[in-house]
Amino acid sequence: MQPARISTKGSQRPHKAGMDEPRAVRWLMIGVALLFLGLFLLIPLAAVFSQALEKGLSVYLAAIREPDAISAIQLTVVAAAVSVPLNMYFGIMAAWAIAKFEFPGKSLLITMIDLPFTVSPIISGMVYVLIFGLQGWFGSWLNDHDIKIIFAVPGIILATVFVTFPFVARELIPLMESQGREEEEAALTLGASGLKTFFLVTLPNIKWGLLYGVILCNARAMGEFGAVSVVSGHIRGSTNTIPLHVEILYNEYNFAAAFAVASLLAMLALVTLAIKSLVEWKMREEV
Amino acid sequence: MSIEIVNISKLFGSFKALKDVNLMIPSGELVALLGPSGCGKTTLLRIIAGLESPDSGSILFNGEEATQRHVGERKIGFVFQHYALFRHMTVFENVAFGLRVKERKIRPNKEQIKSKVFELLRLIQLDHLSEKYPAQLSGGQRQRVALARALAVEPQVLLLDEPFGALDAKVRLELRRWLRRLHDEIQVTSIFVTHDQEEALEVSDLVVVMNEGKVEQIGTPEEVYNHPATPFTFDFLGNVNLFRGRVHKELEPLRDVELVMPKNIGASDAPVVGYVRSHDIEVGREPIDNASYKAEVLHVHAIGPVVKVELFLCETKETVEVELSRTVSRKLALQKGETVFARPRKLRVFSP
Repeated sequence: MQPARISTKGSQRPHKAGMDEPRAVRWLMIGVALLFLGLFLLIPLAAVFSQALEKGLSVYLAAIREPDAISAIQLTVVAAAVSVPLNMYFGIMAAWAIAKFEFPGKSLLITMIDLPFTVSPIISGMVYVLIFGLQGWFGSWLNDHDIKIIFAVPGIILATVFVTFPFVARELIPLMESQGREEEEAALTLGASGLKTFFLVTLPNIKWGLLYGVILCNARAMGEFGAVSVVSGHIRGSTNTIPLHVEILYNEYNFAAAFAVASLLAMLALVTLAIKSLVEWKMREEV
Repeated sequence: MSIEIVNISKLFGSFKALKDVNLMIPSGELVALLGPSGCGKTTLLRIIAGLESPDSGSILFNGEEATQRHVGERKIGFVFQHYALFRHMTVFENVAFGLRVKERKIRPNKEQIKSKVFELLRLIQLDHLSEKYPAQLSGGQRQRVALARALAVEPQVLLLDEPFGALDAKVRLELRRWLRRLHDEIQVTSIFVTHDQEEALEVSDLVVVMNEGKVEQIGTPEEVYNHPATPFTFDFLGNVNLFRGRVHKELEPLRDVELVMPKNIGASDAPVVGYVRSHDIEVGREPIDNASYKAEVLHVHAIGPVVKVELFLCETKETVEVELSRTVSRKLALQKGETVFARPRKLRVFSP
């Protein structure tokens, strides 16, 4: 008896007929996505760098080394350096409480965490002016004690903390919820204290999610414009962050300098994206 | 270590998970908490562990009040259904965890920890996998590591929450026998929760049957299977067929029929229900006595070690399933639609 022969003529790579879109549709969708990416991301990014270097490297460097620019960079770094650790601490605590425990007011807390996302940044800034400004609730008290919050560095830090509030929490909550409580319970039954359980069991499990949340938080902290603009007062050399400084330079028609300083933020964006991709890759590896 | 559970109640919102449970767990025994989902067995186990606190009642360890003790101070070992191994630690580090987190004063040194861990890994026959991560192990291996981890701190009680529930049938069988052998070797008081009656009957020294937050019956596997005290226990531990009837004042002893009746059966002519196992029913073509019920053959299922025959009882309009040996079935040569007589040999009677 002849063994059955399988004809391979006419069949190319195996394909799941029922599941694949026709090739044309696939290429169309990829094409549209790439077009979007190009139009809204790559071209502006390229424009920033080309405009920044238009007048040559020396002008670029001079714009960045200029004293007002340096103080703007310093203020940006300070604002980030305060708000990121604060929000990291808060984010871990909130996510831990929400994911591992039941308590009254839990849904309220979750809603409040999302608040800075839903509110326009301008309003976020305005709120602080209304509370701490001269005509605000604490205005006269602050004035009497010669404490400056609005139109000074503390106000900028407050506004930055507010708008970057949710990032770490929102990243950690679903992560910790999906990880459940069993590992922590196991640690407790083995005699570990609450604190030891947190550092030896919980923290290593969330390290990539935490890093992800922190870099997003940092990117937003450094790039925030609206809220900071309202509370800042735009005093050159003391209450300007990088985004505000860029605005000032641009309004003075000093385009090369404006784009030069803006390119710092663009580079931050690229670094953030690179770290983000690395973290995502690591997280996928773990699953 | 013996465990005494006194008047434990637990509410989750409005749901009564445990209703005034009283239980005595003798030292050194392997006890099964058996019952359907939602009966409260896992809640009870977690209360014993200290992972939940009861709304009322108390837990005594060796006669000492332990209800307020923190979970870490109860000297228990807990094994979870889904292992709960620390995913970022190797097998060695998982098993060593309990020893490493001890307070500085009582913590063993590195060498002692290493030898203890390897002793346990050899016990579970996984010493060659000490550097692997949980994700690289099979389900059965993970559960054995979880057991070793729990044993590392030398607990006085081992608590297992459906330990084999997440494993496939063959592995489940192997591990359940392995657990029995392990228990015989180390003799630690152990309590495990299961909804699988076969597992409970095969492995344990004592079975606690639970239903709806209450204890239905406590006994050895033999007692609980052969002498069930309540309809629920009868039904849960094996198949059941119902034969309904009425009480007659003069009970003539029926030849070779074993009748177990409750003491206060009530007035004559009171309705009762007889619970019968499928293998305790005989089938014939002629009625023998009052115990023969007329029935129609619905279905004959002749595949497997026993032949299962489905009969429709004409009088009570109920269906029963009879298990016959292949030999008996061949002799009878039953056909679908035939009229036969079913006679229960052993009945446990309850009031409906």
